Amino acid sequence: MLQEIRHALRLLFKNPLFALVAILTLALGIGATTAVFTLVDALLIKPLPYEKPSELVLLFEHFKQQHLDAIPISPPEFLDYKSQLHSFSKLAAFTPATYNLAQADRPERVFGATVSAELFPLLGVQPIRGRTFRPEECATGRDDVVVISERLWQRKFDRDPKVLGSKITADGRALTVVGIMPASFEFPLPLFNITGAQFGEQADIWQALGFTDTEMKNRGSRSYGAIGRLAPNVAPQQAQAEIETVVRGMRARFPGNYGKTDSFGMTVYPLKEQVIGGMKPLLLILLGAVALVLLIACANLATMLLARATAREREMAIRVAVGASRGRLLRQGLTESVVLSICGAAVGTLLAIWAIALVKTIGTQTIPRLGEVQIDGTVLLVTLAVAVATGLIFGLVPALASGKPDLTEALKEGGRGSTSSRRHNQLRNALVIGEVALALVLLTCAGLLLKSFVRLENVSPGFNPKNVLTAEISLPALSYPDNKSQSNFFAELERRVTNLPGVTQVGLTTILPMSGVNSDASFMIEGRPNDDAHPGPDEEDRIVSPNYFRALEIPLVQGRFFNAADKLDAPSVVIINQALAQRYWPNESPIGKRIQVPFSKSPPWSTIVGIVGDMHHRGLDQPVLPEYYIPVAQIPYSSTILNVRSAQDPLSLTSAIRREVQAIDPALPIAHVRTLEQVIADSVAPRRLAVLLLAAFAGIALILASVGIYGVMSFLVVQRTHEIGVRMALGAQRRDVLRLVISQAAFLIGAGTILGLIAALLSTSVIHSVLYNVSTLDLSTFVLVTLTLALVALVASYIPARRATRADPMLALGRG
Amino acid sequence: MNNGNNTLIHLDGVTKVFLTDEVETHALSGIHLNIRTGEYVAIAGPSGCGKSTLLSILGLLDTPSDGSYSLKGGEVAKLTFPERARIRNREIGFIFQSFNLIGDLTVFENVELPLTYRGMPSSERKVFANEALERVGMGHRAKHLPSQLSGGQQQRVAVARALAGKPAILLADEPTGNLDSRNGEAVMDLLKELHAGGATICMVTHDDRFAGHADRTIHLFDGRVVEDKIAA
Repeated sequence: MLQEIRHALRLLFKNPLFALVAILTLALGIGATTAVFTLVDALLIKPLPYEKPSELVLLFEHFKQQHLDAIPISPPEFLDYKSQLHSFSKLAAFTPATYNLAQADRPERVFGATVSAELFPLLGVQPIRGRTFRPEECATGRDDVVVISERLWQRKFDRDPKVLGSKITADGRALTVVGIMPASFEFPLPLFNITGAQFGEQADIWQALGFTDTEMKNRGSRSYGAIGRLAPNVAPQQAQAEIETVVRGMRARFPGNYGKTDSFGMTVYPLKEQVIGGMKPLLLILLGAVALVLLIACANLATMLLARATAREREMAIRVAVGASRGRLLRQGLTESVVLSICGAAVGTLLAIWAIALVKTIGTQTIPRLGEVQIDGTVLLVTLAVAVATGLIFGLVPALASGKPDLTEALKEGGRGSTSSRRHNQLRNALVIGEVALALVLLTCAGLLLKSFVRLENVSPGFNPKNVLTAEISLPALSYPDNKSQSNFFAELERRVTNLPGVTQVGLTTILPMSGVNSDASFMIEGRPNDDAHPGPDEEDRIVSPNYFRALEIPLVQGRFFNAADKLDAPSVVIINQALAQRYWPNESPIGKRIQVPFSKSPPWSTIVGIVGDMHHRGLDQPVLPEYYIPVAQIPYSSTILNVRSAQDPLSLTSAIRREVQAIDPALPIAHVRTLEQVIADSVAPRRLAVLLLAAFAGIALILASVGIYGVMSFLVVQRTHEIGVRMALGAQRRDVLRLVISQAAFLIGAGTILGLIAALLSTSVIHSVLYNVSTLDLSTFVLVTLTLALVALVASYIPARRATRADPMLALGRG
Repeated sequence: MNNGNNTLIHLDGVTKVFLTDEVETHALSGIHLNIRTGEYVAIAGPSGCGKSTLLSILGLLDTPSDGSYSLKGGEVAKLTFPERARIRNREIGFIFQSFNLIGDLTVFENVELPLTYRGMPSSERKVFANEALERVGMGHRAKHLPSQLSGGQQQRVAVARALAGKPAILLADEPTGNLDSRNGEAVMDLLKELHAGGATICMVTHDDRFAGHADRTIHLFDGRVVEDKIAA
């Protein structure tokens, strides 16, 4: 075997161009496969970084009649579930939170969560220093303890061990650090499978959760996530069955909250499905795509090896003539192809490392767990297995062909045109046809996805995202305890920022469109029933400042925008969007109609004063939802998002805005500063990444198929040089030779295209779920992709065809 | 350039120099030659004397380094590649030592190939090709592939291909070189028969026996004509 390996290596060095092309071809195929498998392994296959993650589930409630599919739970409900459900060994509540960390130079907004004491034991992750929460700390008044992340410990405290037991000031409160969680610990994880239930930021602070008395009195105020660990040997279905029983009891006990119908309920969702499930179709499509790329690369390798086998027919014949067995020749051939594929795998792994670094750069902020992705032992083992399998499978055909040389023909001096070389030609042609077909499938899928993405990007969001800067500001309850102080702060901020040079409009909102954060609340319509048979509507609610619509350029359809007169003590007003108007007042004008919104002051009715245009709040690919807007002056809020429209590059305003915020309150940080265009771009980031990767793979496939056609046609031209010489001696013009070669290439391309089109028609349904507004049989994509592939392939065959026209007719005389 | 005595080919001071690295090889030196229509000329000489080079120039496969070459009265030494290809196709029929039939084409397709390059319509091609095949006695093998024929039969097909376009001259390069003596003689008989029918033939051979079939034998040595002998 060692001798064969040595011989294989010697051959590679002897023909470095062949070796280079073969290794690069394989490197592209294996590298792409390795990169995508690394992603799939890390995101889909590897367990979540918790103890026995398959036992972890999320619990979301629903009100079917109001189309509320996955909503958080309220503290009283959490305590009910905790005491009554036995299918779970542990249940924990949590809610995302932000903290303004006080610092000497610049305050920082840090993301985190308030969590019940059960959370850390439930997840089974231990702190690297200190401890987690004691049950008695999860109570109002005793909840001023926090656990921080290793990241924050490093960043803010330079890994000082004395941080344990010390106090940090967050939102004006002194919080005692009791533990440090490892850098790998992440909770809550972003959720991708439940629209409207995403928890997007990486948490660095976890505070003990103590439910307030107010919260405990309000069963309908749902703002907590619930996570559970299934008890040993309990399946999610069993837990679901028990939940049904508990929920029935709750409905019976609190009919005022849940109604008498079975609209209300709670569902168990496996955690991993929710964290990564949304990415699964895209990842599987990418995996399929790289499998095609690998197949094309392998077919290329096989054609190259076949060409070499033909060229080495005489050598093989001599080996057989001097006593080499067929098995020995087969082993030699396979060793050569495996050596090549292992070299390809080595280069491919380097390419994969680079590609993954690139993918992480593009997608870490928007794709859950992407930061954890890295090439590890498992991936390397899979790569090695793919390489060896590639070498064996695609080296087998040429090796078998080499093992049966036509001795009589091959050993003749100048012998040519043997049966085996014709057999090789047929095989090579079949492989090239296959390559073209596979490339067409991949190009078609990429084309459809690209068209889908372009259409998605061209969807009007319902507002103008250009030149708008957004920044989040959260007012700590200690410094801003009441509506007045909050209102005053935001009014002053709006005034100051409006006066900044370059600023044209400033608007405030509680929820930024397409940020992944949503809010909905039920309301009543004056004069309409609100009972079990006719449950009150529940739609998207936003709290905004008067200039919000102008800042985002959301059009006014009817009535008026909010204005300065819509104060706290003025009559309550609301603005609705067209979708809400259409749903509830389809045949009349809603202007002047009254609705009762949550947290309304007394008297409770708010008058509809305007209708604004619709927007795709939950994403460009999501339908427009009915929305109602409440003026921030009438329901002050402690957190807001500043929307600043500017005549200049909006990011250039960042420092000035920060300066204005701190001029009002030096302890207040601004966070999440980004343009609205970036917000929209982030909302389609996974799709964009998938399109980019698929386009890259399709490009590689196109290149490989072209290289394959080029290689085969080049070999064919070399093989037919004598024949071409004869034709020219008989008077063939250069164009005749060009036509001869191109027509042969056109046959291969045509056959591959027909096969590819059939395969593409059958396979594009696989990507149906990730397409937006594009049919899987989109004619223009099919035509464009086919023409592109045919054109590129013809160009690839034109080069050897041109070379053929330079054949010397003297060859016909056996010279030249 | 037609001097009025049926001159088909006139070479005047033709030389051919090959440059390999820094070495100059004079393959032909000052060749003067006239071939008249209807002549059967053999070019003979030892290996390396320049006879195949001369044939290449005569067949417009190669160009002389110096001197002039007129074919049917027209100067052809300095023609471009496409012009040479066109004249080759219409005026010259090649018969090669190794037959040079195209293995993937049938006998008929091989014979009609030069006519295809001439742009002749299919119906006309069929008439010309069948006529040529009948002339060499291979009409019954029209649908066969070359690999299904003996060497002698393949060479007959090659002759038919050379004849099909009714060229001004047939150039034969060692036409018996790959054949056994019996088949070799048969091919020589065929050429003789064609010559008797009016064909102009110029044949390169190193075998004096075959040269004897021609009316005129030109001996080359070191790239020069050393003897130009007309048979008695």
